[in-house]
Amino acid sequence: MREGIGDALIALGLVFAPLSLLSFGGGNAVIADIAQQSIAVHHWTSEREFADLFALSRAAPGPGSMLATLIGWKVAGIPGALVATTAYYVPSALLVFGAVRLWGRWRGSLWHAAIERGLAPIAAGLFLSGGIVVLRASPAGWPVWAAAIVTTAALLRWPALHPVPLLLAGAALFGLVAVL
Amino acid sequence: MTIGSAPSIGLARIFAAFLRLGCTAFGGGMAAWLYRDIVLKRRWLDEATFLSDFALGQAIPGSNGIKLTVQIGQRLHGAAGAAVALVGLLVGPFAIVLAIGAAYAGVGEHPILHQILDGVAAAVIGLTFATGLHSLTQSRPGLTTATLAAATVLCVGVLRWPMLPVVAVLAPLGIALALVERRRG
Repeated sequence: MREGIGDALIALGLVFAPLSLLSFGGGNAVIADIAQQSIAVHHWTSEREFADLFALSRAAPGPGSMLATLIGWKVAGIPGALVATTAYYVPSALLVFGAVRLWGRWRGSLWHAAIERGLAPIAAGLFLSGGIVVLRASPAGWPVWAAAIVTTAALLRWPALHPVPLLLAGAALFGLVAVL
Repeated sequence: MTIGSAPSIGLARIFAAFLRLGCTAFGGGMAAWLYRDIVLKRRWLDEATFLSDFALGQAIPGSNGIKLTVQIGQRLHGAAGAAVALVGLLVGPFAIVLAIGAAYAGVGEHPILHQILDGVAAAVIGLTFATGLHSLTQSRPGLTTATLAAATVLCVGVLRWPMLPVVAVLAPLGIALALVERRRG
């Protein structure tokens, strides 16, 4: 075995745990930092490999990016994947846990109700913004916009519709167009 | 019993729900999937609690899906609920992403893969929009609500300002307006 898998695991932990605490506004905020650390600082991946791992991480279900998991795996197999995933997700989870406990103490106060009511429209705006930002970043252009609008309309018209068939339809449609 | 959540829900049910969510929530936009499943379908949490958790979570670093999962698990069943929900959410994608990585290492990339991912992305964006619009109609529709939501979309979605300062300015404004409305009503 290469010199010190233990060293590699420690390095993964030291890279991903601080990034967990820097990812304000969601996981996308630190992707540039992850790239920098993986490519230039630690030489865990080449640029090409990083781009591929990024695309693969988006093909998997679950929270935003399982990029940390894939990089950990590339560096040190399953133990690497476990260490990177834990380091990336647990610190932020602990912070939220503490925040909810504090928040619970105010329950029932006038402030609590006002905060819940006042924040709801901002949260709704953040949802809409998330969709817009991803749409604008998509290289595929208007077909993606059109498909996104059709999906939105379908889900508003039939709220009970499960999204997975819609995802499959989108995948099939775009895949088919690419083949023809 | 706590306000804003159903009476304590068993750990096994929490684990199963989040395991299923982790394995089916393709394309990112985890918050929209959580809203759909936990609030709309299972009714384990009310609208206002979910949305305020989501907005308050913006002040804390980390993936939105992870933060919401901890918040929801905690509200449903305390510390154990949070831990079980988090593990449940991650264990499926962890296995799947490694399987995809291994398959990819064997096969290599194909251009059609990008097209298929675009199709998935479009549908997920639709889901995100539908969630935002739906939650807007639920939360006391009115001029204040619409203005705050529109301001958020303008700053974050259109002008692409960073989320944290935008929320830091709009959140106190929204809270103040809600307090004023409450005093009047």
